Amino acid sequence: MKYMIETEGLAKKYGDKYSVRKCSLRIRPGCVYGFLGPNGAGKSTTMKMILGLVRPTAGKIRIFGSEVTDRNRIEILKDTGSLIESPSYYGHLNGRENLEIIQTLKGVPREEIDEVLQIVRLEGQQKKKVREYSLGMKQRLGLAAALLGRPKLLLLDEPTNGLDPAGIQEMRDLISDLPKHYGMTVMVSSHLLSEMDQMATDVGIIDKGKMIYQGSLEKLHEQAKSSLRVRVLNQGTAARILDEHREKYRIEGTDLLLPERSEREVADMVAFLAGQGAQITHVEIQQKSLEDIFLALTGRQVSL
Amino acid sequence: MKVRRRKIGLLVGAFILLIFVWVTWAMGDASEDRIYDGWRECFLQLGLVNTILLPTMTAMLASRLCDAEVKGSTLKLLCTMEKKGRLFDLKLLTGAVYLLFFMAAEYVMMAVLSLTLGFGRPLEGVHLLYFFLENYTCSIAILILQQVLSFFYENQIIPLAAGLFGSFVGLFSWFFPGNVFFYLVVWGYYAKLGFINYTWDETTRIMTYYNVPFNLPGFLLLLAALIAGYVAGKYLFVTRKEI
Repeated sequence: MKYMIETEGLAKKYGDKYSVRKCSLRIRPGCVYGFLGPNGAGKSTTMKMILGLVRPTAGKIRIFGSEVTDRNRIEILKDTGSLIESPSYYGHLNGRENLEIIQTLKGVPREEIDEVLQIVRLEGQQKKKVREYSLGMKQRLGLAAALLGRPKLLLLDEPTNGLDPAGIQEMRDLISDLPKHYGMTVMVSSHLLSEMDQMATDVGIIDKGKMIYQGSLEKLHEQAKSSLRVRVLNQGTAARILDEHREKYRIEGTDLLLPERSEREVADMVAFLAGQGAQITHVEIQQKSLEDIFLALTGRQVSL
Repeated sequence: MKVRRRKIGLLVGAFILLIFVWVTWAMGDASEDRIYDGWRECFLQLGLVNTILLPTMTAMLASRLCDAEVKGSTLKLLCTMEKKGRLFDLKLLTGAVYLLFFMAAEYVMMAVLSLTLGFGRPLEGVHLLYFFLENYTCSIAILILQQVLSFFYENQIIPLAAGLFGSFVGLFSWFFPGNVFFYLVVWGYYAKLGFINYTWDETTRIMTYYNVPFNLPGFLLLLAALIAGYVAGKYLFVTRKEI
């Protein structure tokens, strides 16, 4: 399969510390690839290496199937758009003039400016100087610049950073629509798991510079098996009964956590425990969240 | 497009106006014999004024051109569309064009003074070339240095301070014509490449100008420094580890 982006053993070392270590990404065409990881995990460095803004210490990068070298980098990147970290802009120029610079550099028709302004809903603000824009508007302008030339591949580094809730939702909707409406492949980084759930089709999880998961979001969700949470007044009795029947369970505070089972089995077990005097007060099916999966994968609590 | 509303033309124009006022005031105060030798007076006066003002103006020019990229973090976007080396060259070329306009304005200034005051002694054509080689080459060398500083420092006070420092060093170089130290600093070459000198008779209070052979070794040394500065500056810009 020809991947849009493929990296092999990509690494970046600052001093004697690795920021990214043996990172192997595979981004298939037409997907929204959520690049997930806590702050400082190496997301931005990886994306910058892909774009040639940071020189890798080791590893290979292939974009559209071609290995990126100093010689062919610009030629390959012609079909990409990017928004890395904070938005790039000329504050003394208005929004339209900013896009005219990018349009000239990319060599695309001027009419495309109106199109991208419409996509990011900045038509009404195009004559305003960018230094007077809010952060959200600057992010949208950055996205408009990235969309110029209808690139096949978009790299967006934390595009919802600093946006208000409405802006975040708008940006997420916009990103998830791009493959469908324009046939683009999008690589989007975030430190928010919930965001990935709303936008991404594929996910790559990076932690401390290492890739710890890569695959479809669907498969990741499959790992999120639900469990049965039972709250009892008489925990000792309940535990003894479960032990006698060789049931797997885990005690979490006043609750007992049991593996997922059918509704019929749940009803039978609840009736049995209640009959034996466990005094059940609460029963619920608990879905494992992406946070739980992340915790299971990294084995540590992180600020996500 | 990018230089729009950066008021760079205004900056260069203000310096040209300041120099025009300075030279007109100096010439207006001059004796008849100095007016007679007006072209040589102009070359000498402008060489001195350029030494003082051009390092500062060039620092401001480079800063205005580069800080738009630094402030708006645009380099990381531009470097995905254009080769880094080309970006460095285009920025330098823009600054060089402004300096060319500045030089053209100084020639026009001299022509206007010649017509209005009536310089008696004819112009020696080769002096126009020497004036260009002295002032333009030196200013381009300074521009390269300032561009590198402006690209590498987010706080533009540092490159501007370097420009002011250059103005002082340049000024001192006129007072120590024999000192070889001024060959080591780029700002010293305005004085080192001067091709007009004068004698001052205290009793008669007459100033007499005379030609000095063009300092070709000095010019070649400056040219070598300029090329080395360009290569080193571009290398630093292209190979910087992170943008």
